[in-house]
Amino acid sequence: MTTTTTTTTESTTGTQTAPRHQAVKAFYFNTSAHLLRITTLKANTLAELLDCLRACPEDSIFQHTFRTLQEHHFIREGFSNDFAHWALAACNQPGLAEQLASVDVREFTSLSDLRERFIEILANHLKRHHADASKIAEETFYFCAADIVVLPTDTVAGSMQEFVKGLREASVHSIHHHFIEARLRIKLMSNDFSQWLHEDVGLTDTARALNRIDIYTATLEDVRRQIVRVVERSLT
Amino acid sequence: MTVDQADKHEANREGIKLVKSQNAASQQSISTLASETETKQPSQVSQPATAYPERRKAPRTWETPPEPVPAPHFDDYRPIVGDAEINELRFLARPLKGKTLKMVNSTAVGGGVAEMLNRLVPMLAELEVTTHWDVITGGNDFFEVTKAFHNALHGTEYQLNRAAQEIFLAYNEQNRQRMQFQEDVVVIHDPQPAGLIRSKKDSPGRWVWRCHIDLSNPNPQVWGFLRPFIDQFDAAIFSSQSFARQLPIPQYLFYPCIDPLSEKNKELDDSYVQQICDEFGIDRSRPIITQVSRFDRLKDPVGVVQAYKLARKYVDCQLVLAGGGASDDPEGALVLKEVKEVVGNDPDVIILDLPPWCALQINALQRASTIVIQKSIKEGFGLTVTEALWKGKPTIAGAVGGIPNQVIHKLTGALVHSVEGCAYQIRYLLTHPEFAAQLGRNGREHVKESFLMTTNVRRWLLLLRILMGERTV
Repeated sequence: MTTTTTTTTESTTGTQTAPRHQAVKAFYFNTSAHLLRITTLKANTLAELLDCLRACPEDSIFQHTFRTLQEHHFIREGFSNDFAHWALAACNQPGLAEQLASVDVREFTSLSDLRERFIEILANHLKRHHADASKIAEETFYFCAADIVVLPTDTVAGSMQEFVKGLREASVHSIHHHFIEARLRIKLMSNDFSQWLHEDVGLTDTARALNRIDIYTATLEDVRRQIVRVVERSLT
Repeated sequence: MTVDQADKHEANREGIKLVKSQNAASQQSISTLASETETKQPSQVSQPATAYPERRKAPRTWETPPEPVPAPHFDDYRPIVGDAEINELRFLARPLKGKTLKMVNSTAVGGGVAEMLNRLVPMLAELEVTTHWDVITGGNDFFEVTKAFHNALHGTEYQLNRAAQEIFLAYNEQNRQRMQFQEDVVVIHDPQPAGLIRSKKDSPGRWVWRCHIDLSNPNPQVWGFLRPFIDQFDAAIFSSQSFARQLPIPQYLFYPCIDPLSEKNKELDDSYVQQICDEFGIDRSRPIITQVSRFDRLKDPVGVVQAYKLARKYVDCQLVLAGGGASDDPEGALVLKEVKEVVGNDPDVIILDLPPWCALQINALQRASTIVIQKSIKEGFGLTVTEALWKGKPTIAGAVGGIPNQVIHKLTGALVHSVEGCAYQIRYLLTHPEFAAQLGRNGREHVKESFLMTTNVRRWLLLLRILMGERTV
């Protein structure tokens, strides 16, 4: 499996210090909005999917992994990324679908590495199962891409209490932006919340605990509740 | 329409009174067409049916279209989508304050595009994006040509001739001469006004073509004629990935959407739902399977009846087929006749031929349903599916057109490819109510995330920002 660069809060040593309830720097809640663009690439077989995976823009990899996870944030289990879904629903390849679904976007800080992982899985599958390559799928896979606009919101947290309030009131898009998409921006196996808690508040263990929240077995609302619970626990 | 003897038999709202079904009146624009029988078919019933409310000969429903309902305000959506979502839309709109947008289409009333613009334009105005809406004019000859173009773009055979081209160009030129295009963004809806793009060179704004129709298999002559116009736009918008064409301009995906505050989708008092069920003779104490669709072979109403009949060997349920088109469309009447033949004497099949203004009644029927079916053989996007999902109903639908975008098999509903598959899903969902309820919850969330009016506003605001040079990441 392709690995990614890893300077993370998880690797940071040190014990949890008493929280600075007044943070060194405020946390600015942002959000991101996505517009779906249709590309000219499409696949009707697994071989074509492989070709398209190699040729598509990184925006497409983002759309069909990170972004689609957000679009289906209400599903607790059974949805991981569009490639896995298509392999199962349109190509009737449960084994391949399982492998593709097991790709955890949190393990990647670059879309290029994420793309390589999908290519690796699919190429290996087709190497072992030549006949699968040219079977016509029940539905076409249309490669889309996301145009993303980052938006500031009015919510700023200068204290832990304000941070918790912001977490409770933020949209799920904002939670996704800071908690899941963030790693592509900060290029760390972490997220904006953990970074802030670690660097500006001194809550290293709390920061680390947030990184252990499983986004694939919970809805984004569940994830939000878990984040709030972990952060609140640090205040007691 | 006559409301025949509506008061003659008061339906028992508690469903306690055991009564027999009535045969339907057939010459009404609103009619209950329950099949005629005094006894149930034993082979079709595995569980004893409970009480039947009396089925009216004709329901007490509106004979004329109701007064139009005023468009809601932007903040009316707050309780539905949440403060955070509404606030985000306001953040998105902030830099667009004072910007101007023009929408151009070919009709102010009737049809999905006008319906959508009637809601979208005031919402954008509330967000201080000044939006003008212009409608092109044309004679019968123009609209005959554009209707033919429309059908041809959907794949119908058509021989494009010079006269049709000249009519199209002449009316577009006539409209172009009388219209101004000083807005920051000009959006042309569908092919009818596509020729207005000739004004782009004299206009300061960016131009977008919003295509609401399925271009996946267009008549090559018509598409070849229109294509040079389309290529001149700055961007195009399609309703499905599969509707898009290979174009040299960016193509965006805007799913069709529903308005959660419209008559068709707003929350209803249960007493009203009960009233409608009473009027149509639907027993709410027993499972109700419903398909809402005009009587059209592409919606496969016969297949729905066949699936119901297969399922009824194992589970008790009623089937409601609520549609329209049988009164004013000869083909619709023929399909309805076929449906009635397949139904035979089953008193648990209730066929309703409803006029287009019965949105509230449709809403009530969907809300009363245990399962909603949309067993289409061919489909555009399938907004009836969106409506059902929004109401939290476990939905079984044909895997065609835009339906798979909405129904993710076993996650937000059930996709089927055959009568037998549909029958199995009816049985499964009726006997696994917890799973069915989970599909319903997921389906509603899916609509909330992707197919509501507010999501559509978000897409428009984003597009405007991108077209005006916003740097994307």
